Amino acid sequence: MTDTTSETVRVGELGPTGAFERKAQDAGNHRVRNLLILAFVAFAALWPLVHENTFLLTMGTLVALSVIGATSLHLIIRTGHISFAHAGFMGVGAYVCVLLVMKLQLPFAVSLAGGAAAAAALALLIGPVVLRLTGKYFVLVTFLLGEIIRMVFVEWTSMTGGSNGIFGIPAPYPALAEPHAFYYFALAAALLCVGFCARILTSEVGRAMDSVRESERVAQCSGIPALQLKVTIFVIACALAGVHGALLAHFLHYVDPSSFGMVDSLNLVVMNVIGGMNHLIGPIIGSVFLTILPELLRGYVELQRVIFGIILIVVMAALPGGILELTARVRRLLASRRS
Amino acid sequence: MSTLLQVEGLTRVYGGLRAVGDLSFSVGQNEILGLIGPNGAGKTTVVNLVSGVVKPSAGRVAFKNEDVTGMAPHLLARRGLVRTFQATVVYGDRTVRENAMRGAYLTLYPGFVATLFDTPAAKRKREAAEALVSELLDWLELTSVADTIAGSMPYGYQKTLGIVIALAARPSLILLDEPVAGLSAHETDQVRDTIKRVRERGITVVVIDHNMRFISGLCDRVVVIAHGQELAQGAPRDVLRDPKVIEAYLGKSYAAARAE
Amino acid sequence: MLSPIIIGQVIVNGLSLSAIYVLIALGFTLLFGIMRVVNFAHGAFAMLGGYALYYLYGKYALPYPLAVPLAALIVAVLSLVLETLVFRWFYQKMFQSMIGLLGLNMALMFSSVIVWDVYERSIPPAFSGVLRLGGLILAADRLMVIGIAIIALLAFWLFMTKTRYGVAMRATADDVEIAEAQGIDTRTIYRLAFLVAIFMTALAGGLYAQIYALSPFMGERPLIVAFVVVILGGMGSIPGAALGGVILGFTESILSTFYGAAVSSFVSFGVVIALLIFRPWGLLGKPE
Ligand SMILES: Nc1ncnc2c1ncn2[C@@H]1O[C@H](COP(=O)(O)OP(=O)(O)O)[C@@H](O)[C@H]1O
Ligand SMILES: [Mg+2]
Repeated sequence: MTDTTSETVRVGELGPTGAFERKAQDAGNHRVRNLLILAFVAFAALWPLVHENTFLLTMGTLVALSVIGATSLHLIIRTGHISFAHAGFMGVGAYVCVLLVMKLQLPFAVSLAGGAAAAAALALLIGPVVLRLTGKYFVLVTFLLGEIIRMVFVEWTSMTGGSNGIFGIPAPYPALAEPHAFYYFALAAALLCVGFCARILTSEVGRAMDSVRESERVAQCSGIPALQLKVTIFVIACALAGVHGALLAHFLHYVDPSSFGMVDSLNLVVMNVIGGMNHLIGPIIGSVFLTILPELLRGYVELQRVIFGIILIVVMAALPGGILELTARVRRLLASRRS
Repeated sequence: MSTLLQVEGLTRVYGGLRAVGDLSFSVGQNEILGLIGPNGAGKTTVVNLVSGVVKPSAGRVAFKNEDVTGMAPHLLARRGLVRTFQATVVYGDRTVRENAMRGAYLTLYPGFVATLFDTPAAKRKREAAEALVSELLDWLELTSVADTIAGSMPYGYQKTLGIVIALAARPSLILLDEPVAGLSAHETDQVRDTIKRVRERGITVVVIDHNMRFISGLCDRVVVIAHGQELAQGAPRDVLRDPKVIEAYLGKSYAAARAE
Repeated sequence: MLSPIIIGQVIVNGLSLSAIYVLIALGFTLLFGIMRVVNFAHGAFAMLGGYALYYLYGKYALPYPLAVPLAALIVAVLSLVLETLVFRWFYQKMFQSMIGLLGLNMALMFSSVIVWDVYERSIPPAFSGVLRLGGLILAADRLMVIGIAIIALLAFWLFMTKTRYGVAMRATADDVEIAEAQGIDTRTIYRLAFLVAIFMTALAGGLYAQIYALSPFMGERPLIVAFVVVILGGMGSIPGAALGGVILGFTESILSTFYGAAVSSFVSFGVVIALLIFRPWGLLGKPE
């Protein structure tokens, strides 16, 4: 089975993987990077204080939440698979959490854990089977799987309320009904999630993931349990997607199947693609970009989608490494100018 | 000499084609065994079967007296059986040192939770792996290129790096699939020396090639296969005189001419 | 329960769905087999075929037998612009093609919303009434769909087996490098294959829109159909697309008649996922 790697699509083929990381390892760049991270976090923390606009605050919350979804998908991508079912797992987390809160009156924290556990359980069930597939087959299976999950949300009306969804979902805690409070709550969740993902990627687990993505055959022969590793990461990532879904449902106070379809999975993929798939910063840039850009084109929803589409085409045709690759290229250009 | 690897009746069928049929051989502790045969004879398939990359259709593989037939490659690696690949396979975008570190996964990896919290145990393991890798790179004189990106190095270096990755797993048996294919005569000699030195580390070696001369200058014993079947087994000089082997290699007419 | 009406309906629905599915999947499999692109914009071309037929037949009232092929041809020829601007960049790049063409799908779909708005339109049926055959009662417009598809498939088959270009196309699908070494101009072959693929897709899209409804979002279903059929048959395999189309067409016709559309979708997706896992190269494809 592993001998079929020759023709499959691997994420590692997409760009000079690691070129960026190698640079980041330089001591000087390390400082710059830490400063940038600090600035970014400070900006995010001060965001609600620089304006009085509740709309901008909502945007901030949505960005923070989608960072959770996008970075968790990034984990899967770093093992060499692009899942088009990620929004489906968001949905599982959202519905289970909401139902636990509303039907069983469980506390939010317990329900949130339940939602994440449900998404993880589903991932554990199907992961060992689908993660044997490579490249295009994995994309197609997850594409159909996402559709099936969405169809379950639509058809299981007694539980999910069908296409109408469930309304009147309460804030997680009374204190979080206040938008500023929810913003900081979401920001904290996003930072935790990013920190966790960064820890995984920089640890020996991350090294093993890179090995598996770049050459699964060699990795296995060095003793890396490739399938087990991919399943573990898949389960963790889907649990995080479940958290994203659950928080989103409780923020918007409703949940319906239209938030967990193909388009939403695609959005998460696009965040990774546009930002850059080879580094954790990619999906964060992508989340900001993809949540903010629509607002710049408010009132022109269709035009905005058309522009998205064109951006995707251009990025894939000319810049498969995403915005990160662009910055790396610019830096290289500047460096060559200077010398 | 005790037996390290024992292969019995190994068979692999690909849609009607018997790539390997009823092959039996054994490898003794600290031996260098050659597996030779013309192109398409089934050598790579044997390596795939023994290293768990492909499951056999029939037959048995025992390693250190344990039945490991059809066991996954990473479990075999854990037991000390490691292989290299015929096409040079290194992590082309990474440095030589990073390649070797990845090969040292078994020494390096302390478990999921331990690595996330970077426990003292994890630190110890990392130091052990770094020491192992440095020692290996030193030993094979690769230290000067340790920070070079593997994919940018000459082919011969990449082949050697493939062996380093395998050695970093600290194997007791290493299977080398055509380690000198495509190398110059000079590079071939270097790899031959390397393999001899690998044995001096107490590692048992199975080396695959189609080049008689290379194999006979290196191995204690050879197994010759053609069309997936065993032709002959024994000391290199005996096997080389076997008419069946000569025929398989040089064609019927040559064999007939020699027999006269 | 198994009255002649229902049996007739199941058969005719099965055949007409199969016909449409085979056409859609052939286009998809051709693009994959020859250029190695996974055309995530496939549904959008079917949708454009629907609008073309809407104008030619529904608005300008061209005679039906003329409007159907002409609509598909117009879409195919105009799409050559997209071949130059977009597809060309993704040939032989499977992964990039998936995401890039998803982008194209989005761009085409929402451009259509801007031009035609979101509401559903309908293309008037070419024929109403039924045909009685023995005890069976068959809907005439569905029979028409079957007829058109058979003609198109026959033409496609003749093209692929009897013409120089068709043979060259198959050679390219087998191995690009060998084909190039034999002096086949792959650039021309790619454009031709693109034209043929989009023609069939747009044709199927027109028929599909006429049976169901026409809207900028109608392409989603044909896209999924293309996936399912092509996976069933084996990606890149032409006979596989035909077999897969017929299997899916009849499965859907039977299941949705007796158990409803949702069950039918669940079953066909489930079967395809199972197949992908145990035999990813499909029923008639070759393992890699
Ligand atoms: N995955 C496979 N599928 C089908 N046939 C294969 C496969 N792998 C090897 N073979 C066939 O098995 C035979 C032996 O191949 P191989 O082991 O690669 O030979 P060698 O390494 O001695 O050159 C060849 O005829 C080859 O075509
Ligand atoms: Mg070989």
